Amino acid sequence: MPHQANQPLPAGYVLNGYRIEKPLSSGGFSIVYLASDESGTNFAIKEYLPASLPLRTDGIEIKLGIDADLSVFRHGLKCFFEEGRALAMITHPNVVRVENFFRANETCYMVMQYVRGRTLQFHIQRHRHEFTEAFIRRIFIHLMNGLREVHANKLLHLDIKPANIFIAMEGRPVLLDFGAARITLSEEALKLKPMYTAGFAAPEHYRFDPATLGPWSDIYSVGATIYTCIAGTPPQAGDAREQKDHIIPLRTLARQAYSDNLYDIVDACLSVDYLKRPQTAFDLQKLLMEEPPAEAKRPNFLETINKPFSKLFSR
Amino acid sequence: MRFTIFQESRIGNRTGNEDRVGYSYSREVLLMVVADGMGGHLEGEVAAELAVNEITRRFQQEARNRLRKPHEFLVSAINSGHHAIVSYAVQKNLLECPRTTCVACVVQGGSAYWAHAGDSRLYVLRNGALLAATSDHSRVQQMIETGAITVEAAARHPDRNKIFSCLGGVVPPQIAVSREFPLAIGDTIVLSTDGFWSQIPAALIGGMLRKQGVVEVFPGLLSEAQRRAAGESDNLSVVAMTWEAQDDPHVADTTNLDNEQFATSSNTEQLDMGEEADDVTEEDIERAIAEIQDAIRKVPR
Repeated sequence: MPHQANQPLPAGYVLNGYRIEKPLSSGGFSIVYLASDESGTNFAIKEYLPASLPLRTDGIEIKLGIDADLSVFRHGLKCFFEEGRALAMITHPNVVRVENFFRANETCYMVMQYVRGRTLQFHIQRHRHEFTEAFIRRIFIHLMNGLREVHANKLLHLDIKPANIFIAMEGRPVLLDFGAARITLSEEALKLKPMYTAGFAAPEHYRFDPATLGPWSDIYSVGATIYTCIAGTPPQAGDAREQKDHIIPLRTLARQAYSDNLYDIVDACLSVDYLKRPQTAFDLQKLLMEEPPAEAKRPNFLETINKPFSKLFSR
Repeated sequence: MRFTIFQESRIGNRTGNEDRVGYSYSREVLLMVVADGMGGHLEGEVAAELAVNEITRRFQQEARNRLRKPHEFLVSAINSGHHAIVSYAVQKNLLECPRTTCVACVVQGGSAYWAHAGDSRLYVLRNGALLAATSDHSRVQQMIETGAITVEAAARHPDRNKIFSCLGGVVPPQIAVSREFPLAIGDTIVLSTDGFWSQIPAALIGGMLRKQGVVEVFPGLLSEAQRRAAGESDNLSVVAMTWEAQDDPHVADTTNLDNEQFATSSNTEQLDMGEEADDVTEEDIERAIAEIQDAIRKVPR
């Protein structure tokens, strides 16, 4: 991830009626701020700002220096529009909701609902040893509701990973960051080179062969995400696995007992051959909802599912 | 700047030339590039052509008399070359992305900076000795480094053509970048493709250069490389530059060039790439925003 070379907007700056409170995160192509409107409602505002270009060293306005920068900037802007288009079509509790989209300061902004909580990545880093099977199943069963909605809108997320899954305070998983999302039937959208995260992207994703990308490509990433929840690290990168598969069996990396059934589900999702994976989010959801076999600790399951999420990690 | 430069690309015994070479300079900065399009891959010559053209284009755009950060420029320009090839493949719906190696060198402020991906090489020769060289991104080079095989065995190894970093592959190129290398008078920088360096050891080049200049030495060395390949010569290409005494009145001085004027030479042919206008206009932006706002309004919240 390139280092964000740009100055964030200052706290207190009023942007199109929203007051900027503070930056929440910055990534390769954007800075996300916490902001509030006149009524005091909080929003997360994503500002398009490619980290690799020095665009705002001081002040507010974006300054484009040379032509090469302008073409890079505009290409990225196309991707930002794709993300806006993708999210605008979806209203679902497990998918981040976009509330507004506008142009200002020579760039574009996407206003999203603000969810209190942390990313799954944060929880993996802090609390992995406490991830019970029941917790994992619950999070991903709910997440599949959101992903079904995404796929129902003829969209592929194409960048599912722990950093893009938010766990709201009440325990609800929310799918974030549709920066890589593509409308599967749009020729124009598929011309944009998809980005990917090594370890989470499906093997077919690396070839960016639009014909073989499908819901099963997102399923691979979900499998890799569950794998990471249990192992702490992502599996071997998909393109390398196609050459020589050295994936470390998940059961040898687990820190606590999970059912064979769960390992089998993850293995199936991570099949190099996309035809061997669960083909849809609904298929995967059904698999996750099947009763865990007897050896899974049933009291533990009941205990955790009734507990509020915030209590899960308190000691 | 005062320097002497030589460049040539030959077809060898092949049916087509997939090597591309080029140099470009203005008053205070020089760029040299060599790319070897990969045989066995579709349209190797297109990949090499795109790489050299793209890197040269970026250079002329950004070297406003000087490059601010030569190292960062090299990495960024080589990556743009990679992206240009990938975009071409996507646009043409090619089953396999064409690939090429690339080595590029920038000289400014009396120092050289270089970067490469693949097995096209750069040598710096001083007083006939090899002072610096790139390390090939090849399997055999890895084996040499781990001590698995000797340099001599590598030259005959069946996998000697396998490289693990290139432009146009499924993963972005792994780019090796040099440190800043201060040049002394008489230093010669040689960029070459494997068709040349596999036949002509650096020591031979060094020895010849002690007696004659690059313009006299290299035509003969290219012929010698072809002769040594005994009828199986790969495409072979060289760009070589000798850094001259900066007050030598016999060598042309680039400070005579007009401000921001470039002198350029290459064997790229401006192949018809079907250049596509990829620019997003103001109207496109306004239309996209209107569409998104419309979609937000339509979906019940």
